Amino acid sequence: MAISTTTPARGRTATGRVRKTGPVRRAGSPAHRGDARLAWVLIAPAVIGFLVFAAYPTLRGIYLSFTDFRVLTPPEWTGLDNLKRLVADEVFWHSLGVTAYFVLLSVVIGMTLSVTTAVVLHRLTASTALRGVIILPFLISGVVAATTWSWMLDAQLGIVNIAIRQLGFDPVFFLGSSRWAIPTIALISVWKGMGYNAIIVFAGLQTIPPTIYEAGRIDGANEMQMFRRLTLPLLRPVLAMVLVLTVIGSFQVFDLVAVTTQGGPARASNVLQLYIYDKAFGQFEFGYAATMSLALFAMLIAITFLQMRLLRADESDTD
Amino acid sequence: MKPKHMLSIVAAAAVTVSLAACAGGSAGGAAEEGAHAGTVNWWTWDEKQAESYKTCLPAFQEKYPDITVNITQYAVDDYFTKLTAGFVAGNAPDAFQNSVEFLDSYAKQGQLEPLDDYIAESDYDLGVFNVGVPAFTYTDDKQYALPLDWAGSAFYYNKDMLKDAGLSEDDVQNMTWNPEDGGTFDEVVARLTVDENGRRGDEKGFDKDKVAVYGIGALGTADYLGQTTWYQFAASSDWTMREPAAWPTSFAFDDPAFTETMDYLRGLSDRGLAPEFGQFTVGDTEQLGSGSVAMISGGSWSATTFAKLPDMSVGIAPNVLGPDGETRVVMSNSNGNMLWSGSKVKQAAWDWISFMGTAECQESAALTSGSFFPSIPSAMDALAADQLDKGVDLSVFVNYAKNDELEPSLAYRNGAELKSELQPLFEAYYSHQRDDDVWQEAADKAQEILSK
Repeated sequence: MAISTTTPARGRTATGRVRKTGPVRRAGSPAHRGDARLAWVLIAPAVIGFLVFAAYPTLRGIYLSFTDFRVLTPPEWTGLDNLKRLVADEVFWHSLGVTAYFVLLSVVIGMTLSVTTAVVLHRLTASTALRGVIILPFLISGVVAATTWSWMLDAQLGIVNIAIRQLGFDPVFFLGSSRWAIPTIALISVWKGMGYNAIIVFAGLQTIPPTIYEAGRIDGANEMQMFRRLTLPLLRPVLAMVLVLTVIGSFQVFDLVAVTTQGGPARASNVLQLYIYDKAFGQFEFGYAATMSLALFAMLIAITFLQMRLLRADESDTD
Repeated sequence: MKPKHMLSIVAAAAVTVSLAACAGGSAGGAAEEGAHAGTVNWWTWDEKQAESYKTCLPAFQEKYPDITVNITQYAVDDYFTKLTAGFVAGNAPDAFQNSVEFLDSYAKQGQLEPLDDYIAESDYDLGVFNVGVPAFTYTDDKQYALPLDWAGSAFYYNKDMLKDAGLSEDDVQNMTWNPEDGGTFDEVVARLTVDENGRRGDEKGFDKDKVAVYGIGALGTADYLGQTTWYQFAASSDWTMREPAAWPTSFAFDDPAFTETMDYLRGLSDRGLAPEFGQFTVGDTEQLGSGSVAMISGGSWSATTFAKLPDMSVGIAPNVLGPDGETRVVMSNSNGNMLWSGSKVKQAAWDWISFMGTAECQESAALTSGSFFPSIPSAMDALAADQLDKGVDLSVFVNYAKNDELEPSLAYRNGAELKSELQPLFEAYYSHQRDDDVWQEAADKAQEILSK
């Protein structure tokens, strides 16, 4: 790939120059000191932003996860109590299971649909209007999408169930039954995120040189074989990124559940984020909520790391 | 003068002005602790109340010319989060609307100002309220709020469907109930239910799987207090939920009388007379409005919304009479008007909330809004008369108060946790995932959380 050939070259010239000018710099040229100051000034906004909005909250969150903190009174250090409670908390493990089920459904269905859509788009049309239409659901706010879907899916009055009834079937309690709640929310989530993922995959497809397909065709490969042997391997870095983002995004699902089912019925859709939110903002147990957030954070890091390794996401096969 | 200089002078002037403004503001705030002056911020989550209480402002301003009142409304979903954030940041409103559910958590953390001294000093008479005062007496026996409103429940029914079923207004106005055969309530509901073939719920051949119109909206819901659903049935027998009534340490969900009631109510859905759990995801007014439900138990706050349903004439019937034929129980809840302990203008804030607690202000606000019931009887009568002119008969609710049928929903501890733990159990029961054994678990959970 282009980047891998140019980077070392640039690095070589840079080190060469450093060697040549090294002694002068060490002597402490005023110009160099001025550069450093300017550099600090220039990166200051980013550094301050990072410290204030990322580093400090994370560290404070970690600290709070070892305390009993109810917001209006100062936090009280409780050591590992929160962790012990977490291990024994049935609702936490149940919520984790619900979340994993949701992630599995929305990632598998979402990835399949968005790759298919992207490939079809890529092979059949160059229309920008169509690409715009594909991404439309992504532009709708989660709360609006969730509200509209929950109206459409109402077992008694929703348009979907009216159609189901006219086809002669019994109405389905999409959001009202334990069995259907999570699959339904996963499908709404897929509907909402698919367009965005499809466009990213589509962009990835455009970077694959057409000559490769020409070569494939000359060798007698059909469309299916070219998709499996050429498109998928060449797309791997893009697919890995989409996968990682979808997994993280799905683990963090909140708005759709909060609007459609509030975790019900009987905790069937009580995803982890909702449980954390309820503990923190409903019951003021910010310490314990921070412990759960930290656990989720650790799990997400582990999962992401695993995915990157398994998919060798930093390498491409295009070279 | 060069333009550059002009600019700097203008800028300097602007800075001076704003500094002066700041100084004026803070000096004003600090000096007026205990004085009838300053700027009072008052919050509510009800946009109709925010608008309607503005009608009290001119008279208030006349009485207290040095007090400015800012009324702010936040949607109920954000309201309590914003309030908590305000407590932490030190910029919470000086006075605010609050529900019984949060009395415990706010008072426990020292964010609420006890009103007893203010009440004594200004000779304010708590006796003007006929409902809501005891709900805001905390465990330290101090009063933390003046009631702002009250609410109860009733049956709303489609008058045309009632007529089609051959029932009279009288039949629904005096329904009786018992857990064995359901009393006349059961007869009315069965009669109102119609299947897709036009057969009624009390007729032979009624198809409970193909129901066109349900006689009653779902009475088994996630609500662990059952305010608009099961509570009136359970409490009309000799079952008492809370022990003791104020700041209970247990909820008697394990009492056989309660279990019997729940079995009856879940049975209504199994018999096809009420929708199943989860069948409707829309609110009560939409259910009645859709024509799929002939009668529904709902909150008094919806009375005017039900009346506005297009092409439908809606009647209001009181809660059922219990097995003894005369006990009628209506759970009533009130929201309260509170003072923040961190306010710098507490006296002025008290002046405002006690002014809102006068018959004149309650009357003018209630007439403007039409959706909330004032806690002062004369204002309630005025509202009922005004609504009657507009075609909404609120006499059912007025009579509850007159006949002493209101049972105030007193405060209890850890409401938010109770809700998170008990709701799933109610849902599991009503969706047939669990049976009667769930109630022992519910009672145990409630006891554990209530006595935390």
